[in-house]
Amino acid sequence: MIRYSEMSIDYKKESREIKLDLRSKQLRNLVLDALSGGGRGHLGPAFSLIEIIRALYDTVLLHDPANPTFAKRDRFILSKGHGCLGLYAVLSDFGYFPKEMLNNFCGFESILGGHPESATIPGVEFSTGSLGHGLPFGVGTAMAGRLLNEKWQTYVLVGDGELNEGSIWESAMHATQHKLGALTVIVDFNGLQASGQIDSVVSLTPLAEKWEAFGFKVYEVNGHDTKSLETVISRPFNDIGQPVAILAHTVKGKGLISAENSNDWHHKAKITFEEIETLRSELEQI
Amino acid sequence: MRQQALRSVYELAKSNPKVLFIGSDLGAGTLSDMKKELPAQFFMEGISEQHIIGFAAGLAKEGFLPYVNTIATFFARRAYEQISLDIGLHCLPVRLLASGGGMVYAPLGPTHTAIEDLSLIMNIPNFKVFAPADANEMKLLIHASAQDDSPYYIRFGKGGERIVTEEYESFDYMPKIWGNSQSEAIIFTTGILLQHCLDARKKLDELGISCSVVHFPYLSNLNLESIKELFNEKTIILCAEEHVPKGALLTAILHGFMQIKFNISNLHAISLPASFSHKYGNQNDHLEINGLTGSKIALKLQFLLGKPPKSKL
Repeated sequence: MIRYSEMSIDYKKESREIKLDLRSKQLRNLVLDALSGGGRGHLGPAFSLIEIIRALYDTVLLHDPANPTFAKRDRFILSKGHGCLGLYAVLSDFGYFPKEMLNNFCGFESILGGHPESATIPGVEFSTGSLGHGLPFGVGTAMAGRLLNEKWQTYVLVGDGELNEGSIWESAMHATQHKLGALTVIVDFNGLQASGQIDSVVSLTPLAEKWEAFGFKVYEVNGHDTKSLETVISRPFNDIGQPVAILAHTVKGKGLISAENSNDWHHKAKITFEEIETLRSELEQI
Repeated sequence: MRQQALRSVYELAKSNPKVLFIGSDLGAGTLSDMKKELPAQFFMEGISEQHIIGFAAGLAKEGFLPYVNTIATFFARRAYEQISLDIGLHCLPVRLLASGGGMVYAPLGPTHTAIEDLSLIMNIPNFKVFAPADANEMKLLIHASAQDDSPYYIRFGKGGERIVTEEYESFDYMPKIWGNSQSEAIIFTTGILLQHCLDARKKLDELGISCSVVHFPYLSNLNLESIKELFNEKTIILCAEEHVPKGALLTAILHGFMQIKFNISNLHAISLPASFSHKYGNQNDHLEINGLTGSKIALKLQFLLGKPPKSKL
């Protein structure tokens, strides 16, 4: 069996130790704007995956904020819908919708809810929330590209806890059966799910070998290292071939001393202004 | 009925490259001619109902018209959330071709019978739910579906059902009527039970009892307004359906009567019981024991009309 990961690298340690640059802090502040406006939300998941989405939109994806549905765009599906604040931050930063809308997150008339909806938000391909739906849809999207002789890539971002869902593995088998080389699955591998450490709930170990056994070409990367992410995710279009799985090692709540690796900040239904200000100052200090 | 439906999908696919067929391990013989001639439009996927619904939704979002076929209850029970969210929420033109509606798979037991499928899917917003009566109606419906961007759920019978509908030019979604406004009784039904209701009508006619039959192939909007001249508050109305009592045709009729402010004191119903059956046999055995065959339906109406058969003793 060929292993694509470089086992000598301790990605977990790297993801803990890497310093965030100015842009990553700015995007996190946009997430805090939404949390402040809505008084609630999933902070931990958003701070876990924000560099992955940043790398995709900054460098990898062919996309156009002025024409979000143009036919030849690459398709990005956030299967882990509860990480939507990270996506909202990046989409608003690119001008898909005004940043001011973040202040009305979860408002009755807001387009921005606690999970992303394609019917209302420019740039969102598929409404998600209940887990395990994005990859089956993404397999369909990738197959559609093949049938239409288009060269778009399909990227599906899933959570590690989400891998408990059987539908993920149903789709993994079919992606390999169809040799969907234009499909990339990125796992936000932060090691936590709602009830605690993933290894203490339903262990995914050995995760790289699992994806390889399902026929995927597997890479591992520090999920907060934007440059490495861009390098690993970017590749020439390849319609017929092995689909790709990228295990992006991340830290839940990355960038906040009080939230890192803490399920207390997985989701909060009530967040005060004072708490937000404390988080902003923590972000400045790192 | 299933053969007609799949043949119609194949016919559509020949002239429209966006039409796709997706099955879940349905057997090597399924649409083998389409597989050979239009391989890019034919997908025989694994035993993965959750996956194939999402897969079909992804294809539909990009402009394709997927016709997905598997056993009815594997759609409605196994993949309900995928059907609701991936297809219904996104209002995508995926057509679910549901084999073995009702008690068709009675010999295979309660894991395979579809007794509550219609109620489950009828309650998903954006879905259009159909139960054609025979192969004629099925063919028209499949061809009509290609012109519609809505999600479809189409319940099949066993196959080889007696042809009871006329060969209309096109499928028109409206209730189909046998009879007139002079009838003492009227039966409302859907799907393959139509043939049994027409048998009942014939038996009653032989007894000098006038009975109309209305078949609703399209269940998501009964259009009761269009047939309200057929009955009045003295007419005995019987709803007959191969489904548990709540959630499907009877519930839709009650809602329809509320809308037209019709008094329901003469409305009666026969259906499958609200329980899992642990009996096997065949579909007709279950229709018979639950009073859904022609002779049983006729007998029920005789009693409701106060004209019970005379005892032979």
